[in-house]
Amino acid sequence: MSDDLAIEVRNLVRVFESRKGFFFGEKNRTEALKGVELLVGRGTIFGLLGPNGAGKTTLTKILSTLLLPTTGTVRVLGHDVVEEASWLRPRIGLVLGGERGLYNRINARENLRYFADLYGIPPVERDRRITEVLERVDLTWAGDRRVEEYSRGMKQKLHIARGILHRPEILFLDEPTIGLDPKSARETRKLVRSLVVDGVTIFLTTHYMFEAEELCPQVAVLSKGRIVANDTIGGLRQRVGGDRTIEVEAYGFEDRELSLLRGLPGVSHVTGEEFGPRMRLTLRVRTWETTPEQVGLLLPGHPELSVRERRTSLEDVYLDLVEEEAN
Amino acid sequence: MALATTHASRSRATGASLRLSILLFVADPQWLVPSTIAPIVFGLVSFELFRNAGPYFLTYAILGAGMMSMWGQTLYGSGWATGADRQLGTLEPTIQAPTPYLYVVLGRIIWNVVAGLFGGGVVYVVVVLAAGGPPSLPNPLLFVVLFVFVMVTLAAVGVVFAAAFVYSRYAGFIQNIGEFAFYVGTGCMFPVVLLPFWTNPIALLFPPTWALDALRYASIPGYTGFGWGFGWDLLGAVATTAVYASIAGGVFTRVERHVLEVGDLSDY
Ligand SMILES: Nc1ncnc2c1ncn2[C@@H]1O[C@H](COP(=O)(O)OP(=O)(O)OP(=O)(O)O)[C@@H](O)[C@H]1O
Ligand SMILES: [Mg+2]
Repeated sequence: MSDDLAIEVRNLVRVFESRKGFFFGEKNRTEALKGVELLVGRGTIFGLLGPNGAGKTTLTKILSTLLLPTTGTVRVLGHDVVEEASWLRPRIGLVLGGERGLYNRINARENLRYFADLYGIPPVERDRRITEVLERVDLTWAGDRRVEEYSRGMKQKLHIARGILHRPEILFLDEPTIGLDPKSARETRKLVRSLVVDGVTIFLTTHYMFEAEELCPQVAVLSKGRIVANDTIGGLRQRVGGDRTIEVEAYGFEDRELSLLRGLPGVSHVTGEEFGPRMRLTLRVRTWETTPEQVGLLLPGHPELSVRERRTSLEDVYLDLVEEEAN
Repeated sequence: MALATTHASRSRATGASLRLSILLFVADPQWLVPSTIAPIVFGLVSFELFRNAGPYFLTYAILGAGMMSMWGQTLYGSGWATGADRQLGTLEPTIQAPTPYLYVVLGRIIWNVVAGLFGGGVVYVVVVLAAGGPPSLPNPLLFVVLFVFVMVTLAAVGVVFAAAFVYSRYAGFIQNIGEFAFYVGTGCMFPVVLLPFWTNPIALLFPPTWALDALRYASIPGYTGFGWGFGWDLLGAVATTAVYASIAGGVFTRVERHVLEVGDLSDY
């Protein structure tokens, strides 16, 4: 155990067992986390990236004492999440976000007041603090409105307001920008960034590499219950290194053509993606030997074939990592 | 800030939960309809059933129907709120907060007991109107004391049922059985003597059964009820309530551990 660590996860496994079907006779077993190791320092924004079903929410809930690990040890702020949950709970802020998790029939202030009381904020401080956090998330104008009248972006801000109400030392944000329009998402990211200034450690999950890149000095990629990368943004960028990306688009490709492309010198990844009638292949290339012209020559007879080279982005690195794990 | 929970903060949480119950009710008072109609029906039916039961039938009718609606409200209300939390997604942040969930439940139970009292009042008015006047009470003071005690026993059952609702989203099933066992086993629906004895043991697991019988002894001269007398009824009520109250904390701790293991704090 180390004091400068906000999060310390060792060999964490989480299994869900659920029953369904007639008289719950069928048993389902899902291994959501398969031996996660993770260390996060204090006072930063740490980003956990991963596709749907990777286990991000499961990990977030375990870290915030809402779910027990099946095996492994998990410490937050130096304290065990199972044995010392009652020490941790007042020091943790949790934002699961989305449309749910608020009392819709009452106004925002009343929602905050209720949770302030559950967090043991003294009454003399409570109302001032509620005004403060509403100001902080830019909802002062809507504080007396019923939550059912809130837009999704406003609800997300209110979730965050509730998360920081008791001045937690560590704040967990599960996909804070999911379902928000670009403007609200940008505002939310700005808000998140402003929170670290207070010395709070933030652990956030996201689907988007650009979001992690914008907010998090350090990121980990979770795929199918395993951490497949844990690095600084700079470190991840180095993985891109001299890599180049060639994109090929046409109305579908044959398997034979795919293996031809895979066989080209220096090609490390070929991923495909369909949009409408068209299909796009993305080639990650490690050397200069393979050029867009050569690729074009290998694919004769395609009407409206387009081949272009572009800069490899961090998003590409992320997709490669997740793809690798899937294969 | 990082505040530990103290006795003061726990009672504040109970207060906040009571306040929330009231706010949610005021924002959406639609349940007033069922909780008024049920007592009216209970009151009229039990008036018809017991009108030939002797000079004190009126008290018996009011107590029976009143208890049915209060019991229904307490049980239904305490469990329902947790089920609603699960659906709304508010159970997770509530459990994540440092105050034990038991103190949130207590606030709701207080509200439900008050709401149940409203139903009891409706029954009283209905039966008195049907009978053309209020019943006579031999010992009004004892009646009031025992009546308050009955509400305490109702609250004790409410807490345990609320725990069942945290434990499992299928707790409604158990609740329905409990509700029926109580209606029948306490003689609220039919006089106890008419029923086979096996219906009683289940009802005897609930503190209000004992307390209600004691209340009848105190307010209906010549009442025999279960037949073992006022003293044993009172003792049974105190003992069962003490058991419920003493296990409530432990039950909630276990139940919470269970849900954190299973991970079904939220309906999706
Ligand atoms: N309560 C539960 N019971 C059973 N299985 C569960 C439960 N919660 C999660 N799972 C399973 O665990 C796996 C990981 O789910 P989790 O919600 O943690 O993923 P995620 O990365 O948050 O995904 P998303 O991006 O869609 O939010 C999934 O296969 C999911 O079906
Ligand atoms: Mg998730």
